[in-house]
Amino acid sequence: MFIYTREAHPGENVPHHDSFERKLACAKLLAEETGIGRDILVDDLAGTVHFAYGLMPNMTWVIGRGGRIAYKADWTSAANVEAFLERFLAARGEHPPGTMPVMYESQQAEFRYPDRKRFMQRLRRNGPRAVAEFEKAQELWAHRAGP
Amino acid sequence: MGEADAGDGAAAYNYARFDDYVAAGGDVADEAAFWASPRAGQAAPDFALPRLGDGGSVSLSDLWRSRPLVMEFGSFT
Repeated sequence: MFIYTREAHPGENVPHHDSFERKLACAKLLAEETGIGRDILVDDLAGTVHFAYGLMPNMTWVIGRGGRIAYKADWTSAANVEAFLERFLAARGEHPPGTMPVMYESQQAEFRYPDRKRFMQRLRRNGPRAVAEFEKAQELWAHRAGP
Repeated sequence: MGEADAGDGAAAYNYARFDDYVAAGGDVADEAAFWASPRAGQAAPDFALPRLGDGGSVSLSDLWRSRPLVMEFGSFT
């Protein structure tokens, strides 16, 4: 399931949302252009669900049966989610007599390899302003990082 | 939904310029919000949202009741 939030890089073609109707129109356009086959749920204009789950632009959460959080990642990696689901579902399957899986929490850094070309294509799709503003943001990030 | 929702909070959330958002520290605040969000093992916040297409109201808890739910958040980029 996919939850449509806000436009992280608004531009001339895909603007920021100033009404729920515009947000719905953008979500519809996204579905048409990307062919997302899963159900798409649309958050409200104030981002109520997005706020509750942590505001990152491309994150994935897995919720276990009964509503306990099983996994949260501030970036979506399909491979990482699939690997987790395999372990998670195995723990809920059959296990040797006399043993019982016990949940524990871990936290570790993961690494991704951004597809810069694809990302720039998406920025250009949103509009020239989205590209220019991202370039300015990169300067700000470089300034933050220091010399 | 509609114009009634376009208050100051919604306007700030739906920023118009990414560079201004970064300059104001919005991206840093978002990271902090993620780490302040509920942890693994805790109860997931439940909401009902409209489904694109038919507009039907979908409760997250209905989705995770019968099997694990994978929720991906995103937009065009």
